Amino acid sequence: MEKHDLLKKKYMNPYLAGIGLGLTLLVSFLVLGAGLGASSGLARIAACIGLCVAKTHTLSSEYFGKWGQHPMQYYLVFMLVGTFIGGLCSALLANRTKLQIERGKQSSVGLRIVFAFIGGILVGFASRLAQGCTSGQALSGTALLLTGSFVFLICIFVGGYATAKLFRRQWND
Amino acid sequence: MINTMYQLDTLDSAQAFIASLLIGAAFGFFLERAGFGSSRKLSGVFYFKDMTVIKVMFTAVITAALGLILCIVLGIVSIDGIYLMPTVYGAYIVGGLIFGVGFVMGGWCPGTAAAGMASGKIDAIIFLVGAILGSAVFNEMFGLVKPLYESGQSGVVFIYDTLGMSRETFSVLLCIAAIVMFWGCEWIEKRKTAQPILQNSTILKTLSIAVLAMAFMLVAVKPGLSLNQLPGTMTGTTLTESQLLEAVEMAQDHIEPEELADRMLRQEPGLIVVDIRPVVEYMDYHLPNALNIQMKDLHQALVQYKNAGTIVLYSNGMTHPVQARDSLYRNGYNNAFILTDGINGFIEKCLTPVSLRDEILPKETTDKIRAWRAFFLGSTNVQSESYTPQEMLSDSMLIDAESLEKQLERADTKILDLRSQTEYNTSHIKNSFSLNIENLRTNLNGVGSMLQPRDMLTRHFSSMGIQPDDNVVIVYGNKTQDATLVGIALERIGHKSYKILNGGFAAWKSVNKPVVSELPETVISSYPNNGTDNFSVDYKTVLQYVKSKKAIIIDVRPSDYFSGSKSDEARAGHIPGAVNRPYTEDIIIVNETAQFKPIEELAKAYEQIIPSKDSTVIVHCRTGHQASQTFFVLKRLLGYRNVLWYDAGWSQWAAIKDLPIE
Repeated sequence: MEKHDLLKKKYMNPYLAGIGLGLTLLVSFLVLGAGLGASSGLARIAACIGLCVAKTHTLSSEYFGKWGQHPMQYYLVFMLVGTFIGGLCSALLANRTKLQIERGKQSSVGLRIVFAFIGGILVGFASRLAQGCTSGQALSGTALLLTGSFVFLICIFVGGYATAKLFRRQWND
Repeated sequence: MINTMYQLDTLDSAQAFIASLLIGAAFGFFLERAGFGSSRKLSGVFYFKDMTVIKVMFTAVITAALGLILCIVLGIVSIDGIYLMPTVYGAYIVGGLIFGVGFVMGGWCPGTAAAGMASGKIDAIIFLVGAILGSAVFNEMFGLVKPLYESGQSGVVFIYDTLGMSRETFSVLLCIAAIVMFWGCEWIEKRKTAQPILQNSTILKTLSIAVLAMAFMLVAVKPGLSLNQLPGTMTGTTLTESQLLEAVEMAQDHIEPEELADRMLRQEPGLIVVDIRPVVEYMDYHLPNALNIQMKDLHQALVQYKNAGTIVLYSNGMTHPVQARDSLYRNGYNNAFILTDGINGFIEKCLTPVSLRDEILPKETTDKIRAWRAFFLGSTNVQSESYTPQEMLSDSMLIDAESLEKQLERADTKILDLRSQTEYNTSHIKNSFSLNIENLRTNLNGVGSMLQPRDMLTRHFSSMGIQPDDNVVIVYGNKTQDATLVGIALERIGHKSYKILNGGFAAWKSVNKPVVSELPETVISSYPNNGTDNFSVDYKTVLQYVKSKKAIIIDVRPSDYFSGSKSDEARAGHIPGAVNRPYTEDIIIVNETAQFKPIEELAKAYEQIIPSKDSTVIVHCRTGHQASQTFFVLKRLLGYRNVLWYDAGWSQWAAIKDLPIE
């Protein structure tokens, strides 16, 4: 009981946190005229790295090329930086900043790292394909009641639940 | 009413970047507060261990959705002010499935990983590096995945329309579903784990009641934005036949031309004017800012204006708009109206000059008519089609050396010499200006050699002192199509008074007319810049015509390029259904200089291809240059009335792989 009492103190009530997120999203709609986003910021970083490594190749590529010479000058890049800053403030206030690789007690560091890395690649790719991630499509798009975003959200859960068993090992205690 | 940054097009400003940073900070803060800085907690949802993801996510969705609907109902923001992502079924289904696998495997999604990184999770950093790499992989594979990326493109579609219900009904159902899910999540957690139970929490109970109350309230006060609200539309469900008939009986489905004119004049926000006529008629004349939407596309195109603002439909007469409006009405639109007597009635009632009216009008009315005429005719292209018959059909668009010499000293004669700079510098016709035709073309939207937009062209012609009343004479070197390209540039800025010296500079020289080497003097003019031209079309319009087969498409390239045996472009061949009439067939070469064939000969040739002077004709070549000549021949020499010019031509059509070719 002691452990979950601790947990209870640690995290905010999920419904209150949800209302907080919802209001943040609403402000984003009213001020920016666009929802929240995270994966676009990552893609812009990818384009920026591309420009540093192979400038002409990146500029002439069909997808990154249209962002021009300064892909980082984009509002969602700033939003991603903000997300990090906001997360940092909250984690510092709650004393939750500890350098660690989160995994099950039985699981090896190597396995967790490989899964996190490959999972990241899949998510980065899929976010570009679907023009958004959990933030831009599943959260913002469904709040706008857009059909495509609901389809995307449902497919995330279908894909996730269908393969969850395969990746369970990393959380074994 | 708030104007969002998206609406003001300032999302790339410093203010937008600061606002995004702050909004992002709030986003990250709540993510971390909710526990989403932990991949273990996030993954818990996939093993029914920790359902926080569902609880937080759906609370956020219904909070924002209900909040936004409330803001729209209260008129705080318009849905137009918000960027709505188009639905692309194929891409979203496959993307969602891959994303789900990546999510459960990596334990993160992009936003939460940023919050996780902030709380020291190394696996979050690794995930983010992977996601950046994944984006780059997508870029490298874009050529390959593009068909999928674009498969099932359906434009902006709302879920309540997909499901065939009203926005309000759907909102209530969504809220009920969310609350059922919340209680379900609590129940799952109770069974599966020894986690703390929120089932009896006051917060959940309060939330459940508040959300439901708010959803039902929204249904009760369904938006009444239109001033001409129809009776019996407060129910929030699809409107019944009897309500429709009742509204028709009371003539509440009409809007009078005078009323529309006034509302457009004061630029009433939320007023959507829709022209449902064919593209060609729309391009000839339409009310300012009217959208051109074909009947079959109405539902999809107007969905964003459903019950927000006022939609006015018009055509030439009344039949089609009435059918369109009834169809919209049956689908729950209570804000669609028809313009009484259509565009013809509008022109007659509002735009007939006071001097041509039979009745004697009070001053108040005549002032109004003048204001309408100034607004509706001043800024659009209706007057540009008012040619005198002599201008429309004739070789008066061609001039010979004798006639040119006679008008040489007139102040309103402006001569443009298209030969090379050195040829011009050596000798030219007195007072003529040197013009390099390539200076009139530029790269637009990635397509090279496009005729510049109107504002650039007006500046260019202003720098040569050209004014709207001037008679421009074009003197070419040896290519007639150079002269017609300048002609079409003048047409784009609305300048109809131009002639081409048939035979070019050589024709002038051959009869020993005087030449000079002095440069002309000029005062820079300020050519008015308003509206757009009404003859340029893009590939989408051409595609419509390819599908409907309602236009003659003339490909003016050489026949070996038409057949595909030669090609300098992405693909070889031609647009399906196009006929080949090489531009060279319209000219004869005399002493290495092209000149137009006699008009009778041209008329005979085109009679074989085009059934009537009112047929819609689209001309194109590779880059628009040669086709400008056929455009000139058809429209200005032969008097075909509906000639359209596909400037981007084969170089664009061939490059867009989805467009059909033969």
